[in-house]
Order: sequence, then structure tokens, then C-alpha cells
Amino acid sequence: MSKTTQCLIIYLVLCLSIGTAFSQGLAPPSNVAAVDTPNDDGSSITIKWDAAPEDSGISGYQILRRIAGSGLEEVGGMLPAGSTTYVDSTIEKGSAYVYIVRAVTETEATVESEETAPVKGTGEWFHMGKIPLFFGMILFSAAILWNLYDARSGKEIFVRRIPGLEAVDEALGRATEMGRSILYVLGLGQVDNVATIASMTILGQVARRTADYETPLLVPCNDPIVLNVVREMVKSSYLDEGRPDAYNEENIFFLTDSQFAYAAGVDGIMIREKPAAIFLQGTFYAESLIMAETGNSIGAIQIAGTDSEHQLPFFIAACDYTLIGEELYAATAYLSKDPMFLGSLKGQDWGKLVIFAAIVLGVILELSGVNWITTLLQRVR
Amino acid sequence: MKRQVPLALCFLFGIVMILTQFSPHSYSQGVYREVINWNLIINPFALILAVATLIQTHMTRIQRRTEHWQYSLVVFLGMAVMVLIGIPLGPQNSYVEWLYNNLQVPMDATMFSLLAFFIASAAYRAFRARTFEATLLLITALIVMMGNVPVGDLIWNSVLSWLPMEDGASKVRQWILDIPNLASRRGIILGVSLGVISQSIRIILGIERSYLGGGD
Repeated sequence: MSKTTQCLIIYLVLCLSIGTAFSQGLAPPSNVAAVDTPNDDGSSITIKWDAAPEDSGISGYQILRRIAGSGLEEVGGMLPAGSTTYVDSTIEKGSAYVYIVRAVTETEATVESEETAPVKGTGEWFHMGKIPLFFGMILFSAAILWNLYDARSGKEIFVRRIPGLEAVDEALGRATEMGRSILYVLGLGQVDNVATIASMTILGQVARRTADYETPLLVPCNDPIVLNVVREMVKSSYLDEGRPDAYNEENIFFLTDSQFAYAAGVDGIMIREKPAAIFLQGTFYAESLIMAETGNSIGAIQIAGTDSEHQLPFFIAACDYTLIGEELYAATAYLSKDPMFLGSLKGQDWGKLVIFAAIVLGVILELSGVNWITTLLQRVR
Repeated sequence: MKRQVPLALCFLFGIVMILTQFSPHSYSQGVYREVINWNLIINPFALILAVATLIQTHMTRIQRRTEHWQYSLVVFLGMAVMVLIGIPLGPQNSYVEWLYNNLQVPMDATMFSLLAFFIASAAYRAFRARTFEATLLLITALIVMMGNVPVGDLIWNSVLSWLPMEDGASKVRQWILDIPNLASRRGIILGVSLGVISQSIRIILGIERSYLGGGD
């Protein structure tokens, strides 16, 4: 086939496509713009265009792109007819891209937009969508710090009575009188879990008392790092109380890191050792009730506490006392009576007050038809 | 000194990790991923200590012939089988997979299935209508349970047909879950979140340091 014939065929096909497109009144996508996606690491570019009228006959869009000096390539496959944006996450950082949006009809006729201006993906150092969250965090942290240092002045801080923590001494006393052990279960959380750290600090306080009473304290662990930290903490508590001789490292041991094997192991300890008091503090999942019900069946006094709100009903049903959510984090302050810790509790209360005020204000404004507070909160990602 | 260095590191990494949550830049996200990787590296070393304590615990039980000491032999048998087959053949080997699928999985499932019976016994105690709160709980639980099964709506439509609401059991159940239940759950979540932030600030600033153990 000669070169002239090839050119003629291409010309005819082009004329036919353009003719079909225009005969159907198909307009190219309008207001096509490519921008660097905001608040990302520079790995994507967002392409936007205006929505086509419903009777335009467009069945979908294709996105074409090219780097300066290279050919066009299609990205993302066929987009549905109603699309007006596409995020290209397959770009090379530092390269400038030019985009074309191609509208496709049901008869496969196509029409292309003009090329966008070249755009590069650049990473942002600060996520602008998180500004309200950032300021909220700063304000809340400032409130806690203010109260922490204000508490050092010796002001008396009122803390409401938490029955679960009031019962700690009762549970330990009971175990001592009965000559039985105390079982402390830290849950399945790892050492980077804040609830596990909170649980470990409660354990430190419990260990101080067991050191005084010479009551055996059993701590089966499911995480090796938690095991080592807990051993150090309990040892430290016994040393602080002047009873290093009463510390028995063998009572703090690794059981297993498997969820239900751990539950089976803890249940076995409960049945064999029959501890008089059981503490279930930390992060728990489906094994919570298996352990709490076994503890209930042996008649032990049980004090539970978790931040897993799905497990709270199980603990409330099966245990004598339950620390609900934030009470777990308040336990250290409550038990140690340290003014600095108590100050942080007051800071938390300020945070709760602000959230409560925002909820009430938001409801009133929404009911009045003013929705800026809702819009502001929806922007936070 | 024994405490100052960990406290300084805790402060440094705490602040850096907070800042990475507000910075999407690839450098800050790279730092975040790197620190998470360091965290993963610590685990195998800690696992060695854990296995050592496990062996020590069960060896002591066997030596002292404590009650049920024979089960400690089962622990060693299980450990030996998995180690002798798993280390030379690898975790993807068919024998190791067979042992996992036919021993560990059924045992896990057995423990998990016990939950159904424990839920029944715990619910029996919790729902005994001895106080106003327990009665309220009982009525709510009955409605939610009825709303979860098709026969609940059938009973509602035939027994409470005079009420101007069709399929009421499932509708009331959904209302209970969506409004009072969700509201109380969100209240707990807000409290927990504030507690977590407060505890984290105490840890980052070195005010809460009991997790470091003893020594100065």
C-alpha cells in the first residue's frame, strides 16, 4: 500500500469519527484542568472537567496523558459517564504531565478536549485539611499541660469516686485473707498500645500493694516485649516497697501470642490456681467473655477495664467492677494520688466540656439552618 | 542516666511521630515507615526472651512435679514438632500447613465456640430483672433479639397489629442500635480518645514513667 493511500485512509477515518461526533452534537469535555493533588506526598495529579449534559450521548471518558517529548498514553481505563474528576496516582515524581480528556459515545465515537497546561506532582509539608485537628490538638494539649503544672501548686483536685478502683484494695485484701493468688491479665495489646501502657501502670500500683501483703501476683503475658517491661515494672514496685525478697520472676511469664490459646491458658490458670482476685485490664477482643465468665465461675472478685467499647458489655455482665473507657486511663492518677496525674484528669475534663459545648452548639445551629460548624467538622480528615 | 536516655528518646520520637500525622510529604512519611520498621525489628529479639521464659516455666513445673506437670511435656512436644518441621521446611511447607490447619485452627475454633455458651450464661445473670436498670436491659435485649429474626416481625404484626407500625420489631431494633446505642458508644469513644491523648502527653513529657521500671 502506497504512502498516499495510507494517508487517504487515515484522513477518511478521522473525517468519519469527527463527522459522527458532530452529527450527534458531541462537544469536547470543557474546562479541563489538571492540578497537583492537594495534601498528598506529590504522587498524584487531579484532573477535573465539567459534567456533560444528560442528553449528550456520552457513555464514558478516557484520560490520556503525556510527558513533554513523549507520546500519549491512556490511564485509568474507561470512566463512567457522570465522572468529573480523576486522580492519576501513577505519575513519576518530578515529571510534568499534560492531560487530555476524551469523551466516548455509545457508538464509540470520540472527541477530545484541549491539552491542559503541564503540571508536576509536589509533596506538601503540611496537610491543610488537618488544620482544625491540629489546633484542636494544640489547645487540648495546652489545657492538659496547664492543669498538670497548676496541680503542682498543691491545690486540692476533686476526682469523682470510681467504684472499680475503690475495690482494688478490697480485692487485694480478700486474696491475702484467703491465702490465694492474684491474677493480672493485660489483654492482647502490644507495648505500643496506650491501653496496655495504662494497664501496666495500674499493675505497678497493684504490685506495690501485693509486695506489702506478700500475696502472689500472677501475670501471664501474650507479648514478649510486654513481658519484659512488666517484669521490670513489678520488680521496681517490690524494690520501692522494700520487699525485693517477695518478688518472684517466675510468676510473670509468657504464655502464647495466639488469641484463643492465650484465653485457654488464662482459663487453665484460673481453674487450677483459683485466684481470689482477677484484674482484666487492657485491650481485649472476643476472648474477653471467655476469661471473665471462667473467673466468675470460680468465685473470684473481678475488676475489669478496657478501651474496647465492644467488649465492655461482656465485662459489665460478668465482672464485679468495670472501668469504662477513660476510667482505665484515670486509674493511675486515682490510685497514686499524684497531683501531676490528677491535673491531667482535670485537663481531660476541660476537653470533654469543649466537645460537649460544640455538640450542643452544633445541634442548635443545625436546627436554626446554620451549618458552618458541621461543614468545618466534615472537612477534617 | 539509665532513665534520661529512654525519656529523651521517647520525647523525640513521640513529637516526630505526631508531626508525621500532619505532614503528607514523602520525607515525613518515610520517617514514619522507618520508625515502624524499627519497631518490628525489636520483636524477634524479645521473642527469644519469651521462648526462654516459656521453657524455664515449664521446666520448673516438670522438675518440681507440680500439679498437672504432665501438660508441660505436651508443651515441649508441640514446640519440638513445630520447630523440627517448621525450621528446615519453612512455614509454607505442606506438613507445617497441615499441622496448623488440623491442630491449631480447630483448637482455636473450639475456644471461640465456647463464647456462645458463655454469652448465654452471662446474659442470664445480666438480664435477671432484679432492678429497674436490669429490667430495662432485659426489655431492650428482647426487642433487639426479636428484631434480628424474621419471626420477630411476624409476631409483632400479629400480636401488636393494632399499632400503627408494620414490621415494628426490626424497626425498633434498628432505632435502638442507631440512636441510644450509637450515642452511648460515641460518648465512650470520645472519653477514651481524650484519655489516650492525655496519657500520651504524660508519656511523651516523661511525667508517666513507671513503664520504664526501676533505676535512675
